[in-house]
Order: sequence, then C-alpha cells, then structure tokens
Amino acid sequence: MKRKYELVYVVSPDATDAQVTDLHTQVEQIAQRLGGTIEKTDNWGRRRLAYEIGPHKEGTYVLETIDGGGELMKEIDRRLKVSDLVIRHLIVRIDEEQSVVERTRTKRTEGSRRRRVARGLPPDRQPGEGQRGDTEDDDRFDVTEVER
Amino acid sequence: MNGKRSFGGGGRGKTSAQGAQQGKDGQRRPMFRRRKVCKFCADKIDDINYKDTKLLMPFVPERAKILPRRISGTCAMHQRKLRTAIMRARQLALIPYTAE
Repeated sequence: MKRKYELVYVVSPDATDAQVTDLHTQVEQIAQRLGGTIEKTDNWGRRRLAYEIGPHKEGTYVLETIDGGGELMKEIDRRLKVSDLVIRHLIVRIDEEQSVVERTRTKRTEGSRRRRVARGLPPDRQPGEGQRGDTEDDDRFDVTEVER
Repeated sequence: MNGKRSFGGGGRGKTSAQGAQQGKDGQRRPMFRRRKVCKFCADKIDDINYKDTKLLMPFVPERAKILPRRISGTCAMHQRKLRTAIMRARQLALIPYTAE
C-alpha cells in the first residue's frame, strides 16, 4: 500500500547543522529499512516560533515528503517522539487530499474551457480580457426608481 | 410601485413616496452592507495548506482565535478546511494558540 505522507519537524535551535543533517539521514534510513522513499526534503531554516516551547523561541523547520506505508510512519513518529533534539513534529497524509485538489482543478479548467468554446471563444483566456475595470460602484443591486 | 427595495435601503426605502424622488445622488443607503463572499471560492484557492501562514494569518486576528464564518463570509466547506489547516499550523508553532 503506497501512501504519501508529509512530515515536518522542528529541531531545537541549539542543534548544529551537522545534527540536523544527521537527523535527516536517520529518517532516511528508517524509510529505506521499511520500504519507503523520501521524495523531497526542504529545510526552511531557522524561524521564530509563534509561541515558546519550553525554553525555545526559535526552531529549525525541516519538511520531508515520504512515500511509504503506515508502519513506516509509525516508526518515524516513535523515533521523533523519543528524540531530544526535535521539539515538535507533525505527520500528515497527503495523497488523498492532493488527488481531490487536482480533480477539482482539472474539472474547473475543463468546464470553463468547454463553456468558452461553446460561446465561440478560444479555450484559454487571452491577456487583458474580461477585466471590467475597477468600478467601485457596482450598480447591479441598485433598483431603478420608477416615476409615477 | 416604489417600495421595491428590499435590501440596503434601510430607512429611506420605507418612506416611499418622498424617498423615491431622491434617486441616485449619493448619500443614499446609509447602512448598505456589502455581501460577503468566500475568499477561497472567489480566488479559486483549492488547497488550504497549513504551511501557508500568509494565507491563514488573516483568519486568526489579534486574539489568535479563528475568525467565525459569519464575519469572514467563508463558505462551510472552506471554513472546515481552514480550521484543520489552522489547527495543524498551531501544532507546529507557525500560528499562535493565544495572544499573550
């Protein structure tokens, strides 16, 4: 069962760069061992936390997109919980949501294309088309007064 | 027929006969409320992501509470998605739970 997960963890600001990369390789090893792959890694660098977590006011955020099963994520979750360096982490399953987003997006563009073709227009929006100008006063809701 | 204005008119619309004469010369509709539209529907944002703090921040005003639907005008579906996104972002300390 292939699923896609997103893992974000916040590393304590005291950790050195080497420790952060070490953590990343640890995650990678667990993934490999349990038959998963890391698709993408993104280090957001040091950020201010929105609130203090224990003594920390800052943290290094790392985002990983992982292909793998639930067992793998369970193991990673357990490891990160135990780790002292990681102050917060979050695992979210994303494959389902992604497909829904994609579906709505294609549906919308297809629909608009079809309607445009039906109106005898080119399927894609031309530059500078359909901009009504910024008229503040929208008179659609103004009822015209009828003189008696 | 004059009393046909059902929205926005407020007091003026009901004073019928005299009110109708004043027409469109400004300063009418004293308490015209703009109809609220769901931001996500209007801008066609399908994906409300917890990582996108710039998108979420306007929905957590200074007390850091989630802005209710009746104020923001967000539709039910998007408010639900917004809620989960905000709650996830809070866990990661991207968005505050409370303001000090």
